[in-house]
Amino acid sequence: MKKLLFIAIAFGVFAITFSSCKQDEGTEPTPSNTTGNFDMKVDYQWAMQTIIPFELNKPLYHPMSGDTLTYTTFKHYISNIRLKKADGSYWTAPKSYHLMNAADTTTLKVHFTNVPTGEYVAMELTLGVDSAANVSGAQSGDLDPINEMFWSWNSGYIMIKAEGTSPQSGTGNFAYHLGGFSGDNSTVSVRELQFPSAQTVTINQTDVPVIHVLANPARLFHSYGSVSNGEDIHMPGAAAAQMAEDFNSWVRISQVQ
Amino acid sequence: MLGKRSWVASLIVASLFFFSCSKDVAPTAEAPLFAVPDHFPPPHYPVDVTTMSKKTVELGRQLFYDPILSVDNSISCGSCHHQKNAFSDRELKVSQGVDGTPGTRNTPTLSNLAWYPYFMADGGVNHLEVVPLVPITSDIEMKQDLLGLIKKINQNDHYRTAFKVAFNSDSITSQLLLLALTHFQLTFISSDSKYDQYVSGKTDLSAIEQEGCQIFEQNCAQCHKPPLFTDFSFVNTGIDLHYTDPGRSRISLDTKDSGAFKVPSLRNIALTAPYMHDGRFNSLDEVLEHHGIDIADVKRVDPRMKSMENLSDTEKQSLVAFLGALTDAKFINNNRLSN
Repeated sequence: MKKLLFIAIAFGVFAITFSSCKQDEGTEPTPSNTTGNFDMKVDYQWAMQTIIPFELNKPLYHPMSGDTLTYTTFKHYISNIRLKKADGSYWTAPKSYHLMNAADTTTLKVHFTNVPTGEYVAMELTLGVDSAANVSGAQSGDLDPINEMFWSWNSGYIMIKAEGTSPQSGTGNFAYHLGGFSGDNSTVSVRELQFPSAQTVTINQTDVPVIHVLANPARLFHSYGSVSNGEDIHMPGAAAAQMAEDFNSWVRISQVQ
Repeated sequence: MLGKRSWVASLIVASLFFFSCSKDVAPTAEAPLFAVPDHFPPPHYPVDVTTMSKKTVELGRQLFYDPILSVDNSISCGSCHHQKNAFSDRELKVSQGVDGTPGTRNTPTLSNLAWYPYFMADGGVNHLEVVPLVPITSDIEMKQDLLGLIKKINQNDHYRTAFKVAFNSDSITSQLLLLALTHFQLTFISSDSKYDQYVSGKTDLSAIEQEGCQIFEQNCAQCHKPPLFTDFSFVNTGIDLHYTDPGRSRISLDTKDSGAFKVPSLRNIALTAPYMHDGRFNSLDEVLEHHGIDIADVKRVDPRMKSMENLSDTEKQSLVAFLGALTDAKFINNNRLSN
């Protein structure tokens, strides 16, 4: 009896907590019987040189710091993909946590299904992992701590991991593990990205549009400057927050195919 | 999503419970896998009765005592968390990891974990399910990388069957491994000490324990708040001026938290020597000689620290006698928790 009462209370409390924390920024799209699919494809550009793509294991010159940087690892999270209609309503992808790994191009393309057909004007995404998923215990899939993107001693996801070598580093190496999900030290950004040239994206039953999201790993050093300022970050803090903000704020949609 | 939180409400309800040295008559309840003791607040962890079963708890028990979790298959959780010491490591100030590597902090006692809002002496771990990741992957503990562990367990015929039976899953993921360990540790409920029997009206405290209870209420209960005997706050006891362990500031990144550690629960305290985050004191008598008396860091000492200086030796003895009434013989002898 006690146990049943406890369960009832726990469920009640959960319902209250859940409903009060629920994000509700827009009404759901008008129900539509037909659905379609689309892809999100993440591309990387290096610095301002659009003709030089970002690549792992290749020395890249940073025009602001003058550093030469060879990335050996570049991984980051994108989560909570939403498409917005002109009337302000959203389609929200379910369980949307995606680990981008530059070393594995299959991770850079994510397929979304069951999207109500119609015309969409913008895409919202979270760069990083939302705070709720950072405090929810053992996770699976892209959030599985097996991916080495979770800090065990200071619970939370590493939102961006950049590792490599540089002659400008005192040790010859650099390792920036950027995480932190709350307050001033948050490395998470929710961005609403417009499609280029005020374009819209139409989801229908036949086509699979590919929305290209462009990110720029050189942006990590936009405010931070040279790796000689510190070749390692392994905890949340002001430096991590600034680095992540510089990276996150640059992210844009380059094209829709 | 498995981790549903109800801590706000838990805190509100918890505040309705207050400490008392007087009896309160309450009915007894039979203990299933997990049950909230009558005089406890609702737990912080949202126990999911739909996935927790005898099988998942038993699987967690096997994993807890299996050295497969360490890189060289040499140590298990139970190597440092001894049931007879309320799951602390009695012999050592700090425990040893693989190859005898010494740790940095005294092994904490494990009980009533479902009521903890966060874990470790610095509160760095925010959820019960992810606690085992620390000892498993730490270089000074089990030193086992998670990917390697999951491969190792998936290659083990016994565990492949056991996970299939417990979770109806063909592959063993870190999530299921952590859930099994969580389900077992949820059953570490210590709520039947002499003190518990006393507050539920089943027995009386001796005169000396009764006196100790009153001293406790006046001096200790604010931070070591019953019935869990901690309020989970971070406290600098003021005893050090220089800190080899940054304590809470490692997580909060705030220097005013330097040397502050989570108030430890005093349940089964007589069994969990040595004491303090680094195991510096060997006995409770020794703790009472210093706790609140030696104040080196006057700037950071918690204002709630009460000096034990004014307590007579008899009063200190009474206090230690009361702390002895927090020993739960049923808990340390419970076969369901044993190897």
